[in-house]
Amino acid sequence: MNAARAFLERTVAPRARWRLLLAAGLGLSALHALALPRLNLGEYTPDLFTLFALYVGLYASRQGRYWPSLVLGLVRDFFSLGLLGVYAVLYSLLHKAASRARTKLDPDSPLVAPLLAFGGVFAVNAGCHFLLAAGGAGVGWNAALGRAAATAAVTAPFAIAVFPLLHWVLARLGYVRSQGGFFNF
Amino acid sequence: MPRLREKLSLLWLVQHPLVATCILLALTLLLPYTRVAERLKLVTFLPLAHAAPDVPQAEESGLSETERARRELLFERERVAQLAAENAALAAALAGARALAEPDPAFAAAVLPPAVPARVIFHGDASTWRHCLWINRGRAHGIVEFMPVVSGRTLIGRVYMAGDNHACVQLVTDPGFAASCVIVDPARPGAAARGVLRGNASARPHFPRLELEDVPLGDSVSAGQRVLTSDFSGQFPPGLNVGVVREVIPQAGFLQVRLEADLDLARLDVVQVLLHKRPELEAQALALLRRGKG
Repeated sequence: MNAARAFLERTVAPRARWRLLLAAGLGLSALHALALPRLNLGEYTPDLFTLFALYVGLYASRQGRYWPSLVLGLVRDFFSLGLLGVYAVLYSLLHKAASRARTKLDPDSPLVAPLLAFGGVFAVNAGCHFLLAAGGAGVGWNAALGRAAATAAVTAPFAIAVFPLLHWVLARLGYVRSQGGFFNF
Repeated sequence: MPRLREKLSLLWLVQHPLVATCILLALTLLLPYTRVAERLKLVTFLPLAHAAPDVPQAEESGLSETERARRELLFERERVAQLAAENAALAAALAGARALAEPDPAFAAAVLPPAVPARVIFHGDASTWRHCLWINRGRAHGIVEFMPVVSGRTLIGRVYMAGDNHACVQLVTDPGFAASCVIVDPARPGAAARGVLRGNASARPHFPRLELEDVPLGDSVSAGQRVLTSDFSGQFPPGLNVGVVREVIPQAGFLQVRLEADLDLARLDVVQVLLHKRPELEAQALALLRRGKG
């Protein structure tokens, strides 16, 4: 009975999903393009966009499968020089992997969240370089993996604060959290 | 058969977004000449190009004579400050060019093609792996893809995609950027080493450190030597400044040459697009043959 109820609650229709994702995508694109490079942190610049994509993969309503992550990736692709679809594919895969990881790990745990963030950010950055290398613009795998690891290491601790902060913001905006732990966006 | 029909329907694609995106990605990879994705991206930045006029415009009817004069004074001051900054950058570039021209007359003889000045309207890229900026000049001003973009006489990048009134510039730090270069030693004119400049997706694009690949091991390259573009590939005019050699690391068969670029890319407000088109293959071959005979 509980399982049936949890399943029903998971399928709560999302509310203002696309508006929320587009606003977040545009804001994060501006942050990555304009603000973060000015800090001049080099390889240690946090990848907050991917962290948000991971949050969407972990907590977004299961209705519509991984369309939310795909749209988020497309927004980032539009403000990037790379091929259209690179981040869309990577974030869709991240969504799928996050859904699988969620069945075994509790992302609300302050120990698990940074681990998931590290894995997610590392995989997306390594995947990004893989697609660059496939197009003949790779920078060498040693340098690329080192950079992906540095970015992931600096982004992971943000998950401890960012995930609860986003829970709070969504609750303030009137989004409902189901028993399965998913928000209706 | 009904199952196959079901699989090929549009609804099936909607239910499998990853497959749909892979098809989109494959289309952007396989059909580069249609440039659909680039056109879509150009549309994204269209409002920004329109929002950045060359001269600030405002309603003047409601202003008194004193307010109008004060406003004009402010505009003039701003313009003078901008011109002074640009003048300083150009003077520095000219001094560098003169220093190089003394030992190498061929460099002094290399005349740059006509240029279209453009203002930077957006600087930055949402991806940490790519580096670009957007300018407020496009096809309507004679700009097409792959034209070199400079500041003074220093190479900044090349036009990656061009709309009617705006264009995207791929910076020298972008991993997709490549340019044929020569390393010149002012003390020994005539002895120049060749190499290929490649963007290394430097995470510090404001203070770029670049790398020169494929420099033969026997060539004498040392820190402090200058790196200029060569016309080997025909893509860039010869003699554009790139940077200064900072470090030389011998590798298996080649030298890895690390450079420091001449410009802080984040401070660029005005750039020039050189109206230089890559010559046709036949014309390029003829020019090489003529040079060989001479």
